[in-house]
Amino acid sequence: MSSLLSVENLTMKFGGLVAIDNLSFNAQNNQITSIIGPNGAGKTTVFNCLTGFYKPTTGQMYLHKDENKVSLRKYTDFKIAHVAKVARTFQNIRLFPAMSVLENLLVAQHNELMVASGYSLYGLLNLKSYREKEKQAVDKSKYWLDIIGLTHRADDNAGDLPYGDQRKLEIVRAMCIEPKLLCLDEPAAGLNPKESAELNELLKFIKNEKKTGILLIEHDMSVVMGISDHVVVLNYGKKIFEGTADQTKNSKEVIEAYLGVDE
Amino acid sequence: MEKQDIIKSFKDSLFTGLIALALFGPIVGLRTVSKGEGLFITPQWGIVFLLVGLCILGRFLININSAKRTEFKFLSSFSSKFAHITEDKAKHFAITGILFAVVFPFLPFTDRYFMDVAIMILTYIMLGWGLNIVVGLAGLLDLGYVAFYAVGAYSYALIATTFGWSFWICLPLAGVFAAFFGILLGFPVLRLRGDYLAIVTLGFGEIIRIILINWYEVTNGPDGITGIPRPSFFGLPFKRSPDEGEASFHTFFGLEYSTMHRIIFLYYLILVLALITNYFTLKIRKLPVGRAWEALREDEIACKSLGVNPTNTKLTAFAIGAMFGGFAGSFFATRQAFISPESFTFIESAIIVAIVVLGGMGSQTGVVLASIFLIGITEIFRDLEQFRMIAFGGAMVLIMVFKPKGILANRKPTILMHGDKK
Repeated sequence: MSSLLSVENLTMKFGGLVAIDNLSFNAQNNQITSIIGPNGAGKTTVFNCLTGFYKPTTGQMYLHKDENKVSLRKYTDFKIAHVAKVARTFQNIRLFPAMSVLENLLVAQHNELMVASGYSLYGLLNLKSYREKEKQAVDKSKYWLDIIGLTHRADDNAGDLPYGDQRKLEIVRAMCIEPKLLCLDEPAAGLNPKESAELNELLKFIKNEKKTGILLIEHDMSVVMGISDHVVVLNYGKKIFEGTADQTKNSKEVIEAYLGVDE
Repeated sequence: MEKQDIIKSFKDSLFTGLIALALFGPIVGLRTVSKGEGLFITPQWGIVFLLVGLCILGRFLININSAKRTEFKFLSSFSSKFAHITEDKAKHFAITGILFAVVFPFLPFTDRYFMDVAIMILTYIMLGWGLNIVVGLAGLLDLGYVAFYAVGAYSYALIATTFGWSFWICLPLAGVFAAFFGILLGFPVLRLRGDYLAIVTLGFGEIIRIILINWYEVTNGPDGITGIPRPSFFGLPFKRSPDEGEASFHTFFGLEYSTMHRIIFLYYLILVLALITNYFTLKIRKLPVGRAWEALREDEIACKSLGVNPTNTKLTAFAIGAMFGGFAGSFFATRQAFISPESFTFIESAIIVAIVVLGGMGSQTGVVLASIFLIGITEIFRDLEQFRMIAFGGAMVLIMVFKPKGILANRKPTILMHGDKK
């Protein structure tokens, strides 16, 4: 199996603080790779480097897109999502709360729609080509809303949805940009067991049906152990273990990192 | 009502009276009069006791009312009814409003003064609609909007007086210039948000005004530009006695000469310009760029993570908002026939921002209501001279108390999946 993402010797320093120390790992296509570790281990910093919010001090990150090797270092900011097709969600939900659910999903398709609307010119003239493209975008949104069962609330404000639904909406919003790699930052935080189980189903669906690689940061072990194909364990910015879920559960280093060393 | 309550509210109102006495005593009670060789103090205790008495009575009535829980009931029910009407029948409301605006110049009570006020209100509505793109939709608090108004006015004035081009050529040029300045302002403030953005835009507004004052060779400094050409009715000027071999508006249509012709023409001109602004905003709000503006207002980081280019999105908002400010500016120049930097002070920016915020951020109808309310109230109290700004402030306080999110705060989605069921 070809690897989708390869991180090589990634180091991120904030002044004297080394947040990530010489980290290398791979994530495969059609797999869920989990990054776990105690608080402050540098998990979110890895995400911020991958998605262009931080520029890593040293190291490389490559995305393998149909035989092409794309260096993520070259892209910053919005281009990571637009050009490199790496999407992400956030630890604290970042929807557009005062906009409707449907509008949230349409903003995710902004770049395609912008071209279709002739950078607003065709749209102002109300040309048929734009109207059709907009209809397609609505259909795509409906497809995803059907999957998470929120179609009946499409016209409500995103901020009015229950917490669990907001989490799911944020994930499908990221999927609307048709990413190669989807980075999820603690998607199960604050969900009840039933919602967690639904989340697992959604992630499995994305992995299997959409052929998207998923990178997952999570504290909820029922999610991590239930769906991960591959687990990377960080502590103090260093990789201390890498393996399957079962191997991770029984690893001495991981247990020590979480529970401390016996005196 | 319980007897205790009455005693309690009476005590409370007496206490209010005490505070009022402490305040009014020195401020109103002791009046200094200059008599020949110095200042003398004349006490005015009568007025002080009247004011204190009013305070006690007012406080007592409010207390009794609030005990009955009927406080301002009539006002809040009025405002909720009002919101209900405009929410449900927004379209009818808009059509009625436009129809009224169209027939307004021919209503029996409409005189010169009414027309002037109406033109002023329409100018503010247009500016409010233009700024609504920047503040209401894109969420970029711009306190220097008057700069674009000034750029539009000066562009028109300079082009028209230098080259003698007609209003209809200068108008789009003024818009283009203002849009250019919008982008010019946009670049340095791209990274700023909230308070910091507000301060920089405020500074930008002042910079433009100070340049207009000091660049004497071009802008004629504080003396301003005079003799700006008046607009003509498709080539027909509004003159009492047209030049030899030329027709003017009244001779062409065989009418009696009246200065009102030009006023009415200006009124329709600004009405059309404002409606174009409104139509454009309503349209563009439903396009991807409009949705991106609103998304940017909601959460910029989320926008970036979805591949929306924040730079371009912000710059288009600044440019388009500035363009409409420029159009309004050229209208202002052609109406006044004289402009000077004095017309473009910070207070203008503040009034426009107040109109947008009080109207309800992003609400087009709200801007109309807020303009009519704020400008109307200041006009009604014109006799109070400088104190009419108190009425202006009072109007703002009233809106903020009863409608903290603006007169019309409800936002309609730009696109519906299930159609309009409600």
